[in-house]
Amino acid sequence: MIYSLLVLSSPASGHGSRTGAEFARSVIARGHSIHRVFFLDAGTLTGSCNSVFPQDESDPALAWEALHREHAVELVLCISSALRYGMLDETEATRYERPSASINPAFTVSGLGQLVDACAHSDRLITFGG
Amino acid sequence: MILHTLNALPSSAAFGDCLKLLQPGDAVVLLGDGVYAALEDTSPCDELRATGVELFILQADALLAGIDRPAEGCNSIGMDELVALTERFPRQLAWY
Amino acid sequence: MTVADADKKPLLIVMRQSPYGTSLAKAAVDVALATAAFDQLVDLLFVGDGVLQLLAGQDSQSLGKKNIGRQLASLPLYDINQVYFDAEAVSRYNLDMSSSPVTAKLLNPQEMQQLMVAYDHLLGL
Repeated sequence: MIYSLLVLSSPASGHGSRTGAEFARSVIARGHSIHRVFFLDAGTLTGSCNSVFPQDESDPALAWEALHREHAVELVLCISSALRYGMLDETEATRYERPSASINPAFTVSGLGQLVDACAHSDRLITFGG
Repeated sequence: MILHTLNALPSSAAFGDCLKLLQPGDAVVLLGDGVYAALEDTSPCDELRATGVELFILQADALLAGIDRPAEGCNSIGMDELVALTERFPRQLAWY
Repeated sequence: MTVADADKKPLLIVMRQSPYGTSLAKAAVDVALATAAFDQLVDLLFVGDGVLQLLAGQDSQSLGKKNIGRQLASLPLYDINQVYFDAEAVSRYNLDMSSSPVTAKLLNPQEMQQLMVAYDHLLGL
């Protein structure tokens, strides 16, 4: 089956983001494909290249990054949420005259159309919030 | 039928709304703050069981919370089994 | 971008948040409008505190926020015509639905259960 995931959880609070990444890994292990992972609202913070977690805590972004690297899972941050949370790629940083980009290169920034497309092309839409 | 993933404290509005919309044939997976509904002899746990849904709890989240023995009728599952539930149920609704 | 080549998969957005307490209500409205703009089927169900989005006369000007009530009033322009409310919550908050920015059907819990299983995807926001 084709899955898409929607992640609303902040990587800094609760563990919804981490659970989402582990779920994605199990989805692939069971022979399904992941069309896209879309990050909305506080979920967009997952794509930050500036978060630093203490050594004895795991950084959820690393789990997502590994999925992208090993399985080419598409990781998309909602652009309107991302901008509010200070998550800018090079293009947006230049456009809004901010000192630097703040997004991990494993993630891309795009519009809500990518979520609509994910719904239309997936057998399952699984949301992780909280 | 619906797979409800319940990541909200028993005292929350989300918990009450979820409870209201459950029907037999649905399943509930407790995760995150939702795991506290698996504490035995509590009214949220009794209310959940009374709906007649299948009840599951994500083991890693239960252990994190200190719930090594979830209430009777609440089956402990790992991530693979959660994916299997999403295969079985055509739609999921997240409560948080 | 086009999604025209895919089968349409009807989406029900379950709106559960008060309009201004978090950014989720705004996100939910944006998702609804985007889904309709891409010509996909989307209906809305307001549950619990979500019905507070339907209070008439929201004035967001002094706080410089986007007016959720006004955005909801524009739903028919996007061909989002199927909107449902949680009747219990409407009555708990004593809302006068005759002045609501949206016209919708009031549902009891059993009717909401029946409604939800008619969709391919559910999105709780």
